Amino acid sequence: MNNKRIVLPGERISDKKLFMPNTFVEGEETFAAVIGMVDEEGKYIPLESKYKPLQEDVLVGIVTDIRHAGYSVDINLSSPGFISSKDFRVQLELGDIVSCKAGQVDEIGEVDFSEVKKLPPGKIIHFPPAKIPRLIGRKSSMISLIREHSGGDIVVGNNGYVWISEASNIPLVLKTINIIIRKAHMSGLTDEIAQYLKNQKTGE
Amino acid sequence: MSEEFKEIIMSHLRKDVLSNSLKKGERFDQRKFDEFRSIEIQKSVIKNAEGSAFVKLGNTQVLVGVKFDVVTPYSDRPNEGTMVTNAELLPLASSTFEPGPPDENSVELARVVDRGIRSAECIDVKSLFIEEGKVLSVYIDLYVLDHSGNFIDASSIAAIAALTDTKVPKVEDGKIIRKEHKGKLDLKALPVTVTSIRVDDFWLVDPTIEEELAMDSRLTIATTGTHVAAVQKGKGSLTKKEFLDNLDIAFKRGNDIRKLL
Amino acid sequence: MGQDSDIKLLVDGKRLDGRSQFDLRNIRIEAGILHDADGSAFVEWGKNKVICGIYGPRECIPRHEASPYKALVKCRYSMAPFSSLEEHSRSGPSRRSVELSKVIREVFENLIITESFPRTQINIFVDVLQSDGGTRTTCITAAAVALANAGIPMRDMASAVAVGKADDILIADLAKEEDNFGQCDMPVAFSYRKKDILLLQMDGLLTREEIETLLNEAEKASDKVYAKQFDALKKVYESPEENFKM
Repeated sequence: MNNKRIVLPGERISDKKLFMPNTFVEGEETFAAVIGMVDEEGKYIPLESKYKPLQEDVLVGIVTDIRHAGYSVDINLSSPGFISSKDFRVQLELGDIVSCKAGQVDEIGEVDFSEVKKLPPGKIIHFPPAKIPRLIGRKSSMISLIREHSGGDIVVGNNGYVWISEASNIPLVLKTINIIIRKAHMSGLTDEIAQYLKNQKTGE
Repeated sequence: MSEEFKEIIMSHLRKDVLSNSLKKGERFDQRKFDEFRSIEIQKSVIKNAEGSAFVKLGNTQVLVGVKFDVVTPYSDRPNEGTMVTNAELLPLASSTFEPGPPDENSVELARVVDRGIRSAECIDVKSLFIEEGKVLSVYIDLYVLDHSGNFIDASSIAAIAALTDTKVPKVEDGKIIRKEHKGKLDLKALPVTVTSIRVDDFWLVDPTIEEELAMDSRLTIATTGTHVAAVQKGKGSLTKKEFLDNLDIAFKRGNDIRKLL
Repeated sequence: MGQDSDIKLLVDGKRLDGRSQFDLRNIRIEAGILHDADGSAFVEWGKNKVICGIYGPRECIPRHEASPYKALVKCRYSMAPFSSLEEHSRSGPSRRSVELSKVIREVFENLIITESFPRTQINIFVDVLQSDGGTRTTCITAAAVALANAGIPMRDMASAVAVGKADDILIADLAKEEDNFGQCDMPVAFSYRKKDILLLQMDGLLTREEIETLLNEAEKASDKVYAKQFDALKKVYESPEENFKM
């Protein structure tokens, strides 16, 4: 892990007040609240964390209840989100998978949805939210690479839910995703995955 | 182990994607329909017990401990020791397991594993007689630590593995001398369960949790090398032919598993 | 405690297992060993073996218990019926396990940043698979690792150890015989950064001076435990392929 070091909850990561997610401030100093890594430049990167919605996040959700005025949607928070049938005209069924953008997030973490889309049949899995940036990759490089080799679409929700279309090579995507989860903190991951996917292809 | 994607347990499962994959002859983890996940067995992990085994069946993990106590025999079988099987679906094993008294799933698990061992006459209960009014009781505790599907077979394998590891304690003046042993528990047979589920028209051996969520029927068969020792149909229904086909698979896979014990 | 017995717990300054006064038993910690739990840990400490799984923050059930201000921390400590050398134990919570569940929960209520997750609960499940004296301190050590593994935000880590007295000698990390036949047992948990006392129980008789010495030793020992916790959590990322053995 080169010059990076692991920090545990309670370790000091700065002698200034930083106010960033997964940290807390005491006096003039900032401390890690979750296990993370401090890189060469002293930047703190959480390795495990709970999902907290932010405006503009892409969310993937599952319809869990149909109610009079709309739909309850599981978006990996402790309470479900709500899509109003006024805002979204397409009929949804229980178990349908949707993607949307997070709009306003209030102080208790409840989210408004915009740009709701119903996704076609596919497999949905849970991916650790702290590692989502690695699954997407710099300028979407990682996810594009996987899409290209799997032959189908994949939608990555910042909330940790990932939808893999039925048209994809689902077993290949699942295996690739497991490697990314295990090695999310290691450098050179995109190259390693590119090589892996290439080998899988020639191997067949 | 935790460093893998997790299945999302959906209250309203759409099984269409799994069915379509099975129509193409594919399981998501690329196993054949009659293939088990990898099986790892580690014995003697709990030294305070007279026998123990820890089994990993894919991501499903089960620990079994075997202990002996001195008890009064049943009045209709005064010369025979007793056997008690209990199962705990620990709340740490799955987000769907709740703390509290055993629910129907853990009771069914304990009873299915118990029946296989009992019917196969695996343990010679007469050898557990001590003196008039005193016999040894064998306690088999199934501890499901991590549930990623098919905890029945994982528990059955762990139970038999733990019994093969079990030493019979020394008894003096009607009391067990802990940590002193007479020798290994003699086993007459090695009953092993094989569980299959049906999703649409396809039968899958050793289902993952995702496959279980989509199942239409479930069937568990315990075999010894020569006989069927116990059967449990869970959810759903099946045809006579499906049952007979599954018997053949249960014998075959049962034999594979017995080689690992 | 203080039972009459012929057992000599100390011979020539060495304890029954060969340790000297303030030595700890061997400790092995593994993090992230369960697949479904949000975080998990296994700790082998002497002959103790405990496993811990964390779930949450998740919806608080029953709902009327939920707090609009913070997450509720819930803990369940239990012992496997095959965990002790003595007879097979009955299932269901004993008075002892109810108390231990409470004192363990009260360690982590100090550390978890519960205000971040109103209306939710965080479950700590600790199961003793093999017991050998000091299960509560082993469980606290495991739970801290499992909570960190789960990404639950905390202000500090917790590390625990028991100290006490046997055959008139002050000792650290009591083994089962020392606990059963010794004169005093005092399990303690410290936070790592602030060195706050998070668990403190005691039974037996000690002088004020003895207590002070033991607390200082417990603090030193808890730093050693922390080093093991740190290594276990680091290993999850350094050797992600490694296979868990019980």
